[in-house]
Amino acid sequence: MNQPLGSGSRGSELQIPTADFRPPEFFAIASRDELWLRGKMTESRLMHGQARQRGECIDATDARDESLADACDDATNAARAVLEALHEAQVRMRVRATREDGTEAVETTLTIAMGAVSVVTTPADAMADYELLRSLVAIKRVASLRPLPIVWQNGSAAVLLHEAIGHASEQGRESIGWPQWLSVDAPLAIRRETFRDVPMPRMRYLVATQKGAPFALPEKRIDVHLIAGGAYDPVTDVVTIDVVLSSAGPFTIRRTRSEIAASLAGATGNPVRYPGVICSREGQKLYVASHAPLLVTGPLA
Amino acid sequence: MNEVYRKWGCVVRYENGKTIRVEEAGEAIDDGTFFCAGPLGSRVGLPELDAADVGRTSFRLQERCRTEVGDTTIERLIVTSGGARHETSGVTWMEESQRVHLSLVRAPLRALIDLASFDVEIIDTIADALARAGGAREAPSRVRLAPNVTAALLPSLVGELALEQRGGGFDGKGHAIETRAVTADPPPNWYRPSYSMRPRRAWFNLRALPFGTIDRSVPRAIALLGPVAGTTLRVLCVDGDEIFPTTLEVSRVAAVSPDAPIWYPYEAGSFGVEMML
Repeated sequence: MNQPLGSGSRGSELQIPTADFRPPEFFAIASRDELWLRGKMTESRLMHGQARQRGECIDATDARDESLADACDDATNAARAVLEALHEAQVRMRVRATREDGTEAVETTLTIAMGAVSVVTTPADAMADYELLRSLVAIKRVASLRPLPIVWQNGSAAVLLHEAIGHASEQGRESIGWPQWLSVDAPLAIRRETFRDVPMPRMRYLVATQKGAPFALPEKRIDVHLIAGGAYDPVTDVVTIDVVLSSAGPFTIRRTRSEIAASLAGATGNPVRYPGVICSREGQKLYVASHAPLLVTGPLA
Repeated sequence: MNEVYRKWGCVVRYENGKTIRVEEAGEAIDDGTFFCAGPLGSRVGLPELDAADVGRTSFRLQERCRTEVGDTTIERLIVTSGGARHETSGVTWMEESQRVHLSLVRAPLRALIDLASFDVEIIDTIADALARAGGAREAPSRVRLAPNVTAALLPSLVGELALEQRGGGFDGKGHAIETRAVTADPPPNWYRPSYSMRPRRAWFNLRALPFGTIDRSVPRAIALLGPVAGTTLRVLCVDGDEIFPTTLEVSRVAAVSPDAPIWYPYEAGSFGVEMML
């Protein structure tokens, strides 16, 4: 469900859909985390446990749920078949089989790294993203860092909006004005990384779309391809984005949400899946699928 | 040769309004090239944890910040009491711990406090100062660092200042932690914060060796306003009645107090005493 951003070209308010924030009474997980270097497994971690919540108290142990453990093993074996083809990279595979009250889910993510650059993907998209990563690490820096418009390629604008809209919403910050051509669907749900963690409202995914946005590709620009990380500080309202691959090399953006909103100059096309958002908050790392169209902002570097 | 490490642990943690009790046991096996870890599926006797103590400490801190310090708010409060039994290399040892992590906010300032006990008097002082803080200023030419600030800085001063590792207890491979001078060489001990993490070399229980004389008249940095970044500290500084945030670049240490140090949970542990820059 995409949420319209209001009627004004500026000053509209984003409406983030809020889920039922009542946490499940019962949570169980079985997870497998493996590190593969050039086709060989070097680390393997199994984790399982259960948590039962009553009011504000949670009792958690490392009890094993056989059904989840089996589901985790099945997904692990399936993902290993994909890993064999990614022999030039370092790959961290993470399978999470979870049950929240009566609902079961299995999630597999692969973090594929080449040098200091990585993408986060799923087994279904792994080969395509591996090839994308190989092509991106070959990109040469062609310009020096100057205050130029930024073109957010590969769906990378999803990270900017993840921080500026998604995290601000998670932390209950007031809405600010965004362009009316931009819609962002970033539903929150109660999530946790492991049975040891306190659940909290987190993004399930983020999909940004544009409708009728202006678009002109700036002749002089910085093309951003991959982001190393980002952060949102609710105290200062500052968003930090660490760009790792761009036509101007790595650089860091530090801007307030208002400055970012004011910098949005246009967008084109349908949302593109960005290969790479493992979101960390309160030390809990969760995968958040993220999509955004090609987006243009003013100079932010 | 396989290195086998086992840990049985129980922790009670108050975290932002919820209290969670976790009991688990795990094993890690490392043959030097392949590391694997997983649940152990067994239980041993562990020290009884005082969940009420966790509750009292968290309640007290919330009441203090709610009623006495104006527009200062708690952004994050984590109070933990834990007990664990470790077993590796033929050595078995028990460990009990208390931890408090508090992030106090008075926008745009954020004070970060990490303690290894439920003696939380220091938080009163910091909360009061934060509530009365003015605008940012240039760093004073000389400044004292409170023990909690010094402790956070010490890991960044390895190789830069005369430090020692204080002996006591065992490291993540079951080796005794011995008192010795800290050098720029690889540390002799191994830090294993969790059974599921590969241990890494680290200096334990860092302490700056006392020297010089502390001038009690110079401004005092009483709290961190952000994580330590190398030798750059953003701190809350008290100079008489003046309270202000400032940024310190630590290039020279002028004195280290001989007072009894306090242990803080930074990295593999560090002892804080007053230090003068």
